[in-house]
Amino acid sequence: MTLVETIDLEKGYRVGDMVVPVLKGIDLCIEEGEFVALMGPSGCGKSSLMNILGCLDRPTGGSVILKGENLCTLSDGELARIRRDQIGFIFQSFNLIGRMSNLRNVELPMILQERPPNARRIRARELLEAVGLGHRLEYSPVNLSGGERQRVAIARALANDPMIILADEPTGNLDEKSTCEIMDIMKKLNDDGRTILMVTHDLEMTRYCSRMIQMRDGRVVQEGI
Amino acid sequence: MRPIDILEYVLLSFKSDRRRAFMSSLGIIIGVVSIVAMLSVSEGLYSGVNERFGDMEMDLINVRPGSNMGPGPGERPSFAPEEPAELDDRDVKIIENIVGVKAVYPLKSASALLSFRGDNASVRVMGITPSHHEDLKVVIDRGRFLVDSDYKAAVVSYEIAQNFFRMDISPGNRIRLYLSEEGRYMDFKVAGILKEDEDPNYAPDDCIFITHKALEELLGRDEYKYSSISIRAEDASQVEATADDVDEGLARIHRDEAYTVEPTTTRFESLLEVLNMIKYALAGIGSISLIVGAIGISNVMMLTVKERTHEIGTMKAIGATAWDIRILYLLDAGMLGLVSSLIGIILGALVSGVVGSIARIPQEVTFSSALSGLLFGVLITTIAGIYPANKAAMLDPIEALRAE
Ligand SMILES: Nc1ncnc2c1ncn2[C@@H]1O[C@H](COP(=O)(O)OP(=O)(O)OP(=O)(O)O)[C@@H](O)[C@H]1O
Ligand SMILES: [Mg+2]
Repeated sequence: MTLVETIDLEKGYRVGDMVVPVLKGIDLCIEEGEFVALMGPSGCGKSSLMNILGCLDRPTGGSVILKGENLCTLSDGELARIRRDQIGFIFQSFNLIGRMSNLRNVELPMILQERPPNARRIRARELLEAVGLGHRLEYSPVNLSGGERQRVAIARALANDPMIILADEPTGNLDEKSTCEIMDIMKKLNDDGRTILMVTHDLEMTRYCSRMIQMRDGRVVQEGI
Repeated sequence: MRPIDILEYVLLSFKSDRRRAFMSSLGIIIGVVSIVAMLSVSEGLYSGVNERFGDMEMDLINVRPGSNMGPGPGERPSFAPEEPAELDDRDVKIIENIVGVKAVYPLKSASALLSFRGDNASVRVMGITPSHHEDLKVVIDRGRFLVDSDYKAAVVSYEIAQNFFRMDISPGNRIRLYLSEEGRYMDFKVAGILKEDEDPNYAPDDCIFITHKALEELLGRDEYKYSSISIRAEDASQVEATADDVDEGLARIHRDEAYTVEPTTTRFESLLEVLNMIKYALAGIGSISLIVGAIGISNVMMLTVKERTHEIGTMKAIGATAWDIRILYLLDAGMLGLVSSLIGIILGALVSGVVGSIARIPQEVTFSSALSGLLFGVLITTIAGIYPANKAAMLDPIEALRAE
């Protein structure tokens, strides 16, 4: 089943009076259960694409279809609802909330979903245990290493049981050892049936993936294993 | 988000940012303190006046010589300043015959020195016509009230009897009244003592009542004129109309002479009006400080939103809607308002207590003044929160995530 499909997707940023085109007609398809690596030189538009797929931004042309639903027709509120219920985003810079404990960070998507406190606490604990942080529940993310932070972020991304995980350079800020840990977790998630789209600069990473998409200057230049 | 989770988020910012909470709430605290303190003090003034005048009979009319006040500002002074009218038995007769008048009490007051067992104290002497004073007859504590045939008998107020001399004055005691400037004096036998705090409102509480006849002799002047005439109207609701009739009746014999006919309630009402004005002016000052406080809150919240841009972006990225964020930050403001108002009410009660005792003003923190402090505090902080909360809600998630 096709989860995500883009048709002639375009994105331009307004800079002063000019609109600078960044995505110049992207057509791609992601099937359920895939682990797709998105590669390309810096500035080619990978993050821009991820943001649109993650409902954080809107395209300036073409369309994005998520599970048969065209995102362009949705309101801001409805987009937020999709982010909350369908998408798990993992960022390069973790984006955890330092004022809250790890447990609470992982709970947050479920708080927004208004899930009952007990159920969500149990699930958050399980998710943190699954990424090996069962002993850091009440810590603030501020007191964790980069690799640990990213593991909290992965647990958070899984909290709403998303249909797709979008990871924008999840290991970009990590050392080799942490990178391996994170990639092992990602691999395991994919083995469990999660669909993952991951931006990476490292060709090494592609060995974990089932497919690779190569971008250059706002276009897809190569698709394949 | 569930209300409980919203609350938890708001409380989190209280815990993690106490200094911010304190700094931003200072203005509101001061505003609420002033509102509560001012309302309480003026409420106290108000009820103090009310207490003193509240038991005043609404059916009394007062006639006294002289005009009520001079020419007002911008008014031309009347061509010939009028002589104050002299009130005597002719006036009493006229008033007694006016329809709607129930009783007439001509009064003459003079100051004198009261001597009792070798001690002296200055008092007010009231000349009265005993048979008219049913109201005094019923507030006798010990002894009896004067009768018209009394001559050298006096009724003494509770205050004088109990507190003026080393020994209490009792019925049957002998007292002497000196007219200080002329060296005249006269001896009296105490007939009765009034009850505590039951002095009529036309007489002060350090007052001795004697008959007109006795006072006339004590004063020893040729002409004995009343210093005022109190009138009781038959119908309290018609007291204004009766006062007008009295005014008209007296005009016949006091042409070109100044006198004032006034229901006692008018003075009371205008006093209340002034107090009301003071009250609202004070509350207005409090409101202004609240508004200044609100601007402070708004500023501090703008800073907070700026500081938390990244956090707000994160929350939006994982699915918070604009309304989620808006409500979080509105409630943040409302909560600040609630807490600071409660602190303000407590401090306000203390302040008004201190002000009250220093300035010797009666004061009480009523439920309604505490409630208005609370309402104003919460309402104004919430309003102050609207703009920052909106700003937070409208943040673009991508831009916000890039911040920091
Ligand atoms: N908000 C914006 N306004 C203007 N230009 C932007 C904006 N966001 C991105 N760009 C531009 O769009 C282009 C693509 O940016 P994008 O972040 O998608 O690249 P990327 O492929 O993710 O690069 P990297 O590998 O370095 O993360 C860049 O040239 C960037 O300068
Ligand atoms: Mg990027």
